[in-house]
Amino acid sequence: MAPNSRKRKIATRELPVESASEEELAEGLLEGILSHSEDDSEDSQDEDVRSVVSSDIEGGSDVDEDEEDEDGDLESTEVPSDGEDEIREQIRGLKTTDGSLSKKFSQLTHELDAELRVGLEDEPVGEELEPNYTVTTDANGNPRYLYKEIEPVYDSDESDAPETTNTIGNIPLSFYDAYPHIGYDINGKKIMRPAKGEALDALLDSIDIPKGWTGLTDPATGKPLELTEEELDVLRKITRNELPEEGYDPYPEMVHYFTGKEEIMPLSAAPEPKRRFVPSKHEAKRVMKIVKAIREGRIQPYKPPAEEEEEEQDFKTYDIWADEVPRPEHSMHIPAPKLPPPGYDESYHPPPEYLPDKEEKAAWQEADEEDREKDYLPTDHEALRKVPGYERFVKEKFERCLDLYLAPRVRRNKLNIDPELLLPKLPSPDELKPFPTTCAVVFRGHEGRVRSVSVDPQGTFLASGGDDGHVRIWELLTGRQVWNVRLSDEDAVDTVRWRPGKDASVLAAAAGEHIYLIVPFSILSPDIEQSSRDILDAGWGYAASKPSATTNGAPAKEPPARWSRPSTRLESKGVLVQTTVRSTVKVVHWHRRGEYFATVSPRGQSSAVAIHTLSKHLTQLPFRRLKGLAQSAQFHPSKPVFFVATKNSIRSYDLSRQELVKILQPGAKWISSFDVHPGGDNLIVGTYDKRLLWHDLDLSTKPYKTLRYHKEAIRAVRFHQGGLPLFADASDDGSLQIFHGKVVGDLMENATIVPLKVLRGHQVKSRLGVMDMDWHPREPWCVSAGADGTCRLWS
Amino acid sequence: MGRIKKKGTSGAAKNYITRTRAVKKLQISLPDFRRLCIFKGIYPREPRNKKKVSKGSTAATTFYYTRDIQYLFHEPLLNKFREHKAVAKKIGRALGRGEVGDAARLEKTHIPKIKLDLIIKERYPTFVDALRDLDDALSMLFLFANLPSTPHVPSKTIALCQRLCLEFQHYVIISHSLRKSFLSIKGIYYQATIQGQDILWLVPYRFVQRTAGDIDFRIMGTFVEFYTTLLGFVNFRLYTSVGLVYPPKFNAKSDEEGGELGAFQLEGKGVASGDEHVTNGNAPEAIASDRAQAEADKVAALPDSEESDTATALVQTGEDENTEAIDTFEPTAQDADTLPQPQASSAELASLFAPFTFYLSRETPKAPLEFILKAFGCKRVGWDSILGDGAFTTNESDTAITHQIVDRPALLNSSLPEVPDAPETANGDAPKAQWPRSAMPGRTYIQPQWVWDCINQGKLLRPDLYAPSAELPPHLSPWVKPSKGEYNPNIPLEQQELEGEAEAFEEEEMEESADDGDSDIAAAPAVNGKNKDIEAIVDRDSSVEAGEGMDLAESESDSDVREENEDTEKAQGDEWDGFESDAESDISEGEVERRQHQRELEAEAAGVSVELSLPTTKSKNAKVRKKAEKKRKQEEEERERQKMMLPRRKRKLLKRIEHGTNKRDKEAENLRSKRRRIEKASSSAIAL
Repeated sequence: MAPNSRKRKIATRELPVESASEEELAEGLLEGILSHSEDDSEDSQDEDVRSVVSSDIEGGSDVDEDEEDEDGDLESTEVPSDGEDEIREQIRGLKTTDGSLSKKFSQLTHELDAELRVGLEDEPVGEELEPNYTVTTDANGNPRYLYKEIEPVYDSDESDAPETTNTIGNIPLSFYDAYPHIGYDINGKKIMRPAKGEALDALLDSIDIPKGWTGLTDPATGKPLELTEEELDVLRKITRNELPEEGYDPYPEMVHYFTGKEEIMPLSAAPEPKRRFVPSKHEAKRVMKIVKAIREGRIQPYKPPAEEEEEEQDFKTYDIWADEVPRPEHSMHIPAPKLPPPGYDESYHPPPEYLPDKEEKAAWQEADEEDREKDYLPTDHEALRKVPGYERFVKEKFERCLDLYLAPRVRRNKLNIDPELLLPKLPSPDELKPFPTTCAVVFRGHEGRVRSVSVDPQGTFLASGGDDGHVRIWELLTGRQVWNVRLSDEDAVDTVRWRPGKDASVLAAAAGEHIYLIVPFSILSPDIEQSSRDILDAGWGYAASKPSATTNGAPAKEPPARWSRPSTRLESKGVLVQTTVRSTVKVVHWHRRGEYFATVSPRGQSSAVAIHTLSKHLTQLPFRRLKGLAQSAQFHPSKPVFFVATKNSIRSYDLSRQELVKILQPGAKWISSFDVHPGGDNLIVGTYDKRLLWHDLDLSTKPYKTLRYHKEAIRAVRFHQGGLPLFADASDDGSLQIFHGKVVGDLMENATIVPLKVLRGHQVKSRLGVMDMDWHPREPWCVSAGADGTCRLWS
Repeated sequence: MGRIKKKGTSGAAKNYITRTRAVKKLQISLPDFRRLCIFKGIYPREPRNKKKVSKGSTAATTFYYTRDIQYLFHEPLLNKFREHKAVAKKIGRALGRGEVGDAARLEKTHIPKIKLDLIIKERYPTFVDALRDLDDALSMLFLFANLPSTPHVPSKTIALCQRLCLEFQHYVIISHSLRKSFLSIKGIYYQATIQGQDILWLVPYRFVQRTAGDIDFRIMGTFVEFYTTLLGFVNFRLYTSVGLVYPPKFNAKSDEEGGELGAFQLEGKGVASGDEHVTNGNAPEAIASDRAQAEADKVAALPDSEESDTATALVQTGEDENTEAIDTFEPTAQDADTLPQPQASSAELASLFAPFTFYLSRETPKAPLEFILKAFGCKRVGWDSILGDGAFTTNESDTAITHQIVDRPALLNSSLPEVPDAPETANGDAPKAQWPRSAMPGRTYIQPQWVWDCINQGKLLRPDLYAPSAELPPHLSPWVKPSKGEYNPNIPLEQQELEGEAEAFEEEEMEESADDGDSDIAAAPAVNGKNKDIEAIVDRDSSVEAGEGMDLAESESDSDVREENEDTEKAQGDEWDGFESDAESDISEGEVERRQHQRELEAEAAGVSVELSLPTTKSKNAKVRKKAEKKRKQEEEERERQKMMLPRRKRKLLKRIEHGTNKRDKEAENLRSKRRRIEKASSSAIAL
């Protein structure tokens, strides 16, 4: 069989590319070409052989092929006689091989051997006897059948499958890079790597390139891929755009299936209808109709619409505002705001001061695009020709477009207010003069805090009382101490107040539960002294008669106060009357006529507020029960009205009608003191929560102004009583604040309050600064009592 | 009992509608809605209380008035949009089938044309309304006229924009309504006043615009579509109002050759439009007559009939202008009030450049210069032939030229290349006046900025400040109104700085500089330098001939005056002190003076010549500065005192106002300090 196919191959191909020769190449590395030539000789031998046997083969080739098929897979179906024959054949072949072949058998590949042998043996035996295997001995000495490679011929089943000579499968050849072989053939023998490299190159250089050489490597075998003459021919035809196959007619004569054949028996034998060859009358009618319409001009022939019309449209040909009617003003319509005109720094050649320095430039560049105040950096170009295009131009215009249709428009009231107008019209400082500005005199002498000061109605003396229990009287202008008395050993003098009125000079001082009325006769002129004594002494008889009357009715009831003469030590100094109330007196306030004075002792509950009548030595408790803790009390400067301040409200009572008039609510947490304006319609309140409140009694119960300029609690507030529009407060932060507070008689006009001056000088001792203050009765001077043991006169 | 009212059924919730809901209600796509809003000028609103409107949600949303959207419902454009959508669908289908011809036919014939005429009328019921809104339109169209054509911006649109812009410029030229112009880094700003409306627009420099980034040309295209319609109508109205035919004749050939403004030829309406022809300086006929006139001037020939016509026409127009102009009222008596009058009449401005012939060198921007020069009365503008068609003359050596605008540095003759061949001249014997090779006698060479500064100040400025390669004076925006507290570069520094500021600065500087001796010398020229600068500014303001340099005596007197001022201030300060009792420092200052005096007396008694301890600049500076500081502090105190009396609400308001003014003050101070530094540097450079 093998020789058969072999012969056919030789017949069809001129160049032998058979496996045999290739394998030889693989065997003897360098001898590839030499063996090739040998191969050729062998082939020629084969050819010789063929020429001998060709006659035989020609006829039985079919049978041959059949047999070959059966050899592979249909052995069982073979005829038994054939089998016997084969066995016999094998034995014979065995002998012959043994005999004919020498020991170099092992060196040659068995295929080649077989071929040769078969070729030799063909002559005597013929093809029927030819075995398709050889028998050798294996390692154990047993016979081993070596079958020849099955060569699929054209009609065989495997013909479609690509010829696989390398059995390694579909893996890259590079896996075998490390080995001398490149895979295994179907029999498991190594396929050696073909020669490569310099030797081969040298050899190639020495010989000419064979025909059909492509320079490619067959991936399956790793050997050079060469093409046969026919294949080359096909390629050549394809490149020339010719049909690769010989004898193919691309344009065959068309066969008319239906018309070309004259049916012997047609489906319908009806004669051809008339309408097939007579023109239609109906159509002619219709055509004539159209022709007529065209002639009459009823139908216009189609004309493509002209382009020029569009061009014409671009120009506006009429005035759209020929009859314009203005739009009625509508508040909802907000026209788009215009862009602001450019400033100096946008110039192409701005003044040099508008150019950014390095830091500004860096800051601008570093900033995020949205954070930049300006979206351009001022730059200087010395000539117009050097000005570059503006990069963001289109972007800016686009953003403007977005703003126009996407941004909500809101009418914003621009703050076009002159800030100067907003500020209140304050009187010029010249108008506000005079007011105290500097510390003129310091009164030193008190040990411990000075609790209270008072300037006498003449304006010559200053009385002060302090923690040391002394009441001291000073000459106001010089600061010389002219009189003093020790009222109490343990109690501090909480308050000193001069009796108003220039005809007499009486000082009321409170220490503990006692109120002392003092006439410092050593410093007074005799007639004043006399009148003062008269005033104080007038009540003695009355006071003596009164208690007797009360003893009858209610002996158990304790009098609100006891009027008595103080000790002789005090009396010699000028302390003429001592009144003792139930609890410690903190505030004394004289009625404007000097006939009455009110005292407040905050702890006293029902007896907290007492009104004393000087001429009768009588004490009354106007409130049976007081709401809240009484803080201070005052008489109205002109009307019979009495003000009482509790912890957080101020009540005013009409004394003549004995009823409550008004409750003021300053909104303070703890009122410390208050003072009524000499006009009587305004009131200032100082609080421990650092506020100074101005109340207009005509307006409301709430404060008209709330001033918070102190950092600490306010201890005392006082209006100037001598006609100057001044008031002041004293605070724990060691300062006094002087205000201008002008009250106009006109009801329509509010009071003007102007802060004027902060007077600093007192030291803060154990968180107490200025304890009390008082105004001079005429001059714009004020006196303050400090916790540092000094009093100061400010002028 | 009534039913409980549901939330969001009345009031603000009903008055506003979100964009999504509006789009849904109108049943159009978002891009269509956007176009509709742009055309109709509908913009979102900001509800006063967002929460109420959006039913409690505070998410960021755009709100429109429901009434606005309701009003859009009846818009005929909506139907057009729908039709367009239908055709677009058909075209898409045809293209999908591969029927390109069909698609083209559909596109050509079936796409509905959108006409915005009625919308224009609706949005701008009166012509003045339209003029008022022309700023954006002009800026946009001038930008598009300078854009390259892209798929987003078809060349047809660009051509339309160019035409409309040029037509508008022609009107501005004819009506002489251009008022101001400004060269900024962004482009050139122009301001025209038409029928009492100030129109400000910006024209970019002729460079390729950067269109990258997230710019949606569809939106801009919609705006351009609207604006072109608007400007078309505005142009029609403007042209007809001055008796011109609209559209003007367009010369395509000239346009191709870069004629721009020259490509249009304006025509008067009817017969009685002869003088219009004359005023129109750019029409070819006019140019021809100008040329003839120039030649006639040269040969001093008899004026022919045509010329006399134009001359009379000119005279007539001149007379007309005279009668139209406002008469100046002079008060006859001293005690009467004087009413403010506009000082520069438009007629005067309109003939600012009338007597001159300009020639633009080829490196100058032709379009803006031609526009401005013609708008300010110049009828003869020539330029290099490279710059395009329509020049009065392209011959640089024409003797009629009085001004040549040059934007090239002057070079030495040797550094210039040889002239290959003499350029052909109209009259052979004329000298070749080729800047920068040689300057023509009797011709003024100026840089372009001269033109802008002239028109902004309304008078001709000294050209020598703007000579080629001279350092140009700064170009200032004509729109900045000097306001109190703001920095003004026109005024010398001394007039606007706060008291003691300069001294503080100098002191600082002195501390920086190591030796005192030097600074003393440096101070004197500083004054000089300042004076010089003032002088320059004064010159620029009044355009008088330059005076002599300020001599030393003057500067001395200046300083004397300043000292006097100081004295008076001191006196004032004393008064203040008496009142305000900033006692310590005051006393100390008085003390110092007293001691000084004492020392002098003692020295006199001893017979020793007093080493006149002239107060050094340093000590003087310190004194002045201290005084100023004190004064400022007092004022501050006073202000604080006033503020204390304000109620809280007003105080907050004041704070807000003061924030703005403080920012402005800070900015001004920064600018002043910069300028001081620059002046100092320049003066020291001069001293060296």
